[in-house]
Amino acid sequence: MNKSPLLQRAGTQKLIASVLSIVIGLFFGSILVLIVGLATSDIGAKGAWDGIRLIFIGLFSKSRDASGNLVFGMNTTNVGNMLFRATPLIMTGLSVAISQKTGLFNIGAPGQYLMGTMATLMIALSIPSTSVPPFLIWILAFLGGCIAGALWGAIPGMLKAFLNINEVIACIMTNWIAANLVTWLFDIASFSTIKGSFYCQTKWKIADGTFKNLIENTKSGYVYKTTWNNVATPKLGLDKVFPGSQVNAGILIAILIAIVVFIIINKTTFGFQLKACGSNRHAARYAGIKDRANIIYSMAIAGALAAAGAALYYLSGNTEFNWHTDQTLPAIGFNGIPVALLAVNNPVGVIFSGTFMAMLNIIGTQLTKFTAYNEYITDVIIAAIVYLSAFSLVIRSLISGRKKKVAVVNDANAEKNPVTPTEAKTEKGGAQA
Amino acid sequence: MDKSQDYVIEMLNITKVFPGIKANDNITLQLRRGEIHALLGENGAGKSTLMSVLFGLYQPEEGVIKKNGEIVKINDPNDATALNIGMVHQHFKLIEVFTVLDNIILGAETTKMGFLQKKEARKKVEELSKRYGLNVDLDAKVEDITVGMQQRVEILKMLYRDNEILIFDEPTAVLTPQEIDELMEIMRGFAKEGKSILFITHKLNEIMAVADRVSVLRKGKYIGTVDVANTTKQELSNMMVGRPVQLQVQKDPAQPKEVILDVKDFTVPSRLHHNDAVKHVSFQARAGEIVCIAGIDGNGQSELIYGLTGLEKSSSGTVTLCGEDITKASIRTRLGNLSHIPEDRHKHGLVLDFTLEQNLALQRFREKGFQHFGFINNGNVRQYAQRLIDQFDVRSGQGPVTTARSMSGGNQQKAIIARELDRDKPLIVAVQPTRGLDVGAIEYIHNQLVNERDEGKAVLLVSLELDEVMSLSDRILVMYEGEIVGELDPKQTTVQELGLYMAGAKRQGGMSHE
Repeated sequence: MNKSPLLQRAGTQKLIASVLSIVIGLFFGSILVLIVGLATSDIGAKGAWDGIRLIFIGLFSKSRDASGNLVFGMNTTNVGNMLFRATPLIMTGLSVAISQKTGLFNIGAPGQYLMGTMATLMIALSIPSTSVPPFLIWILAFLGGCIAGALWGAIPGMLKAFLNINEVIACIMTNWIAANLVTWLFDIASFSTIKGSFYCQTKWKIADGTFKNLIENTKSGYVYKTTWNNVATPKLGLDKVFPGSQVNAGILIAILIAIVVFIIINKTTFGFQLKACGSNRHAARYAGIKDRANIIYSMAIAGALAAAGAALYYLSGNTEFNWHTDQTLPAIGFNGIPVALLAVNNPVGVIFSGTFMAMLNIIGTQLTKFTAYNEYITDVIIAAIVYLSAFSLVIRSLISGRKKKVAVVNDANAEKNPVTPTEAKTEKGGAQA
Repeated sequence: MDKSQDYVIEMLNITKVFPGIKANDNITLQLRRGEIHALLGENGAGKSTLMSVLFGLYQPEEGVIKKNGEIVKINDPNDATALNIGMVHQHFKLIEVFTVLDNIILGAETTKMGFLQKKEARKKVEELSKRYGLNVDLDAKVEDITVGMQQRVEILKMLYRDNEILIFDEPTAVLTPQEIDELMEIMRGFAKEGKSILFITHKLNEIMAVADRVSVLRKGKYIGTVDVANTTKQELSNMMVGRPVQLQVQKDPAQPKEVILDVKDFTVPSRLHHNDAVKHVSFQARAGEIVCIAGIDGNGQSELIYGLTGLEKSSSGTVTLCGEDITKASIRTRLGNLSHIPEDRHKHGLVLDFTLEQNLALQRFREKGFQHFGFINNGNVRQYAQRLIDQFDVRSGQGPVTTARSMSGGNQQKAIIARELDRDKPLIVAVQPTRGLDVGAIEYIHNQLVNERDEGKAVLLVSLELDEVMSLSDRILVMYEGEIVGELDPKQTTVQELGLYMAGAKRQGGMSHE
């Protein structure tokens, strides 16, 4: 089998479709900026032009000069912060992507992320760094977070495997259970009334002197930081490359995990089993693959990945966990869905789509900083892109439709250069009688 | 010029190319007014593609379509309907929760000020059904009526739209023998009324019974058109396959040896009812024989096989395979000693979105050579798939990397058979291995099974086709309502006697426990 021409490969077409979605989304955002700008007297045409430029190259915006013009150039703070914010997005994106690859839809990433947050923080803060080396606490906290997420993800997996309950419904419910459970576990009052919980509380006291963060108690909730216990992800010199930013080795770990997930899915027998169960549970069972176990594995791995995102985020040392009594679901969990969608569930693609989403985030802050626009413009752009990537199948068939017409013209070539399998599939179920 | 006026539909020099395959290569089909014209060809010969072109689902690269001698352009099914072309698809296009009447008028509703005028529609449908003897309950929901009835609904749909050209795509595949006879009668009635019928099939008996002329396609090419009166089944099958075909299975008498499969007092509960689907069944299969489980569909054959292969749990009895008790063994353990050609190739046999090579390695990917420390050896998988594809002549657009879904039914089945027989296990469980296949493929599969038998394998065959049961098996076990009611020798029994056992009218004493 010869490889088909680059443009006709399924992978290329997926990439083109995603890039097209992004480009159209950005233009859509620009039009919005233009309309808002021209309709608002204190922005005007000049302000709108600034806004549009920021949407496309906001990552490289630096400041305004004396005459009030935007200055563009390498902005290490922005790039570093983009990588930092991309870290948890890549992980939740992977979580959704791996479940999609195996025929499941993990909408439970927010809950798994919360459980990971809780386990990571409790472990990171309850083991005294005076007696245990911080890097060991870091590893324990990271793994503990992953395990908590895996267990949380396994619950909808088990419901699906044994009772055939739709994982989407189970995930939505476990999300809110997680929100309330985490609220309850962080609530010191309910903690101390339970027998045996004193163990945990005393450990916390060793960590930072008091369980309740009275110093920052001025806010409506309580704030936790792993640096109180000297636990933080190493920078590995990235802070020198991107001075002034929050970036740390977490992004490298996320990229590494994405590559490992890619290898597991595409190259191993385990991935083969997961995909077989995802595509056709009955055929997998017939072939001697344990279908139930594989559904649970898939959800558990998805849960672990989402929780790893939380662990990498909160272990960074720069981040604070704001705990409120009215705990809501973290948006970063839900944002894994567009990240996976944009990457067409390719784990390596998730690295780029996660980074891109983080860039939009940065652009949002730049818009707020330099113009009269606010960052919610970027939310609209993200929404437009998600909407378009849902149409990526249509875009792909448009691309391959054009290729097909070309193939027809030179009839002889059509026989020699078979087109991608996706195309045959869109042909209403196969060409042959 | 006068001659061409005879033809109601002409498809001239139609060519349709799909990626990697020329589905129709310069095909000409001419349909006379008031005739039943059969379109014969193997799976993948291009019959359905040609009909889809006529129905406007595909646009041909070359060729023209004429109606009553005038060139017409059919861009979509609406154009086809406007030209009075109607089609009964192989898989019915009905809305299950709608009533029969609603399904018939759907898309061609009579309305007044936006309100449905069902009364008029009902009158018209009732007239039609009386005139052609198509009895259906107009108020029944489609999901509640039999497949044969659903087909009648599809036929009534065409009649309701005053279609003159009726296309039947493999209409008998889903029908019982009686229903087939009735359908043939209905088709003759249509032809007498001056309607023209295109009848797509690969069943020679039906063509001989009902068609006036037959056009044969092979591998996308047009082979010829003959009058049914001047031809024989043998000639047609030779045209279709391109070489002489044995319509009868050739085999030597069986020489059974040691017991491979020993089933004792085996019970499998039913998924649908509280009743047991298989009730205390006992039998054996020996090396070197083909044992056939015969019976009317739904008498516990499927559940028996599910129980034996581990897809369902049994509630009593033991199964011994090659001397090992596998009653409670995992599916994977069982697969160590048996090959299983499943009944439903789309549900169990294949992962349709996987490539052909992934499907061929579906059970073997854990074996040495296919994997190394948990990493799949893609080179070896490709090599293995290529060998099976060559050896078993599995045809597909792009070889090992073809998506299973895009392959024709016959080649999907060939892929499963290649995978299962190549695993070389002492017991072969084959459930309706030739269902929906054409004579060439059936001959091939029958020969393969006989070869395996001669090599000393035990073959457990489940078949609903009486011809297949009689010609292929060495021993027949008849199942009726979950029990084995008789054991017959195909050489000493007749189809009639077999039929009596299958219908429950006759049973051998002491064959099975109550």
